[in-house]
Amino acid sequence: MSKITIFRQACKGVEDCGICIFVCPKQVLIGSDEMNEVGYLPPQVKDESLCTGCQNCMISCPDFSIVVEKDASKPAAERGEEDG
Amino acid sequence: MSVSAHPFRRYMRNHVTRTTTCPGCGNGIITQAILRAIDELGLDMDDFIFVSGIGCSAWIPSPLFAADTLHTTHGRPIAFATGIKLCLPEKNILVASGDGDLAAIGGNHLIHAARRNIDMTVVLVNNGIYGMTGGQTAPTTPRGLTTITSPHGTLEHTFDICAMVAAAGASYVTRWTTYHPRQMTRSIKKAIVKKGFALVEAISQCPVQFGRAAKLGKAVDMLKHFKENSIRIDKARNLDEEALKGKIVVGEFVDIEKAELASEWARLKQEVMEV
Repeated sequence: MSKITIFRQACKGVEDCGICIFVCPKQVLIGSDEMNEVGYLPPQVKDESLCTGCQNCMISCPDFSIVVEKDASKPAAERGEEDG
Repeated sequence: MSVSAHPFRRYMRNHVTRTTTCPGCGNGIITQAILRAIDELGLDMDDFIFVSGIGCSAWIPSPLFAADTLHTTHGRPIAFATGIKLCLPEKNILVASGDGDLAAIGGNHLIHAARRNIDMTVVLVNNGIYGMTGGQTAPTTPRGLTTITSPHGTLEHTFDICAMVAAAGASYVTRWTTYHPRQMTRSIKKAIVKKGFALVEAISQCPVQFGRAAKLGKAVDMLKHFKENSIRIDKARNLDEEALKGKIVVGEFVDIEKAELASEWARLKQEVMEV
């Protein structure tokens, strides 16, 4: 499974920006009501297991607030064992 | 394992915690495309000198990038960059600035840098309006758009920057929108490696000024507009002017090899010294 990290304090909110939600093909990210320290509303991860690791949100984020780490380093069989 | 910071933070100055742009601005996407291109090429920030002018997009390199940056007077970044390249030919010069800066006020510098074919990369952020000063009509504003200085719609025709720079003789000319960050990254990589004048025109969204004037809405609506209205050059070649009305032609316009000024100058210097 790919790992999504959101840097909430760097984000400028899904109200006026929200590009991450728009470019995600799997609707992994949704809006939230929780403010960061400057008053913007960063997105939250709805379901990380849906993430394909395409990194669209990371590449399109204008504020360097999202990092998606692909899980491609491990072979698929090994990943299956770890997940149990 | 989660990361503690964005991987591109290593290219940024420590004291800059946030980008200087409005929420949803395309400048951030272009910033990341530049940094990703440098990262993928395996170059060091010390190999570069970044030059910018005045305007929102002139804030892309300065103060964000942990490198030598030069924030110059309005319209003159290419003039400064020409001097730097001839003085320090081993450096990569990257000019990042807006359409109002490079194409309107500094239009002549753009033409003549392309004509001289001096080795530099110009990332021209085109948002179609003077954003920082409050949304006045720019040469790149689409015809008929109502702005703060054209309340009944602008009568002027829109400036095609790529066609002009290509006609002036640049080695590499390409245009992408902020809906194409991956293609833009690849083009910036080619532009940096290219020996000669390379222009990457990045059509960007300004949700605050342009979005309001064009009634396009927020950043996401503008990206949707780019997605629906951009057309690749190979398809656009077969279409007439009427079909291309309101469309954004994207892709590589010019990719040629020709004599470059800084290396020609070095060769001439050597020849003259030998006599």
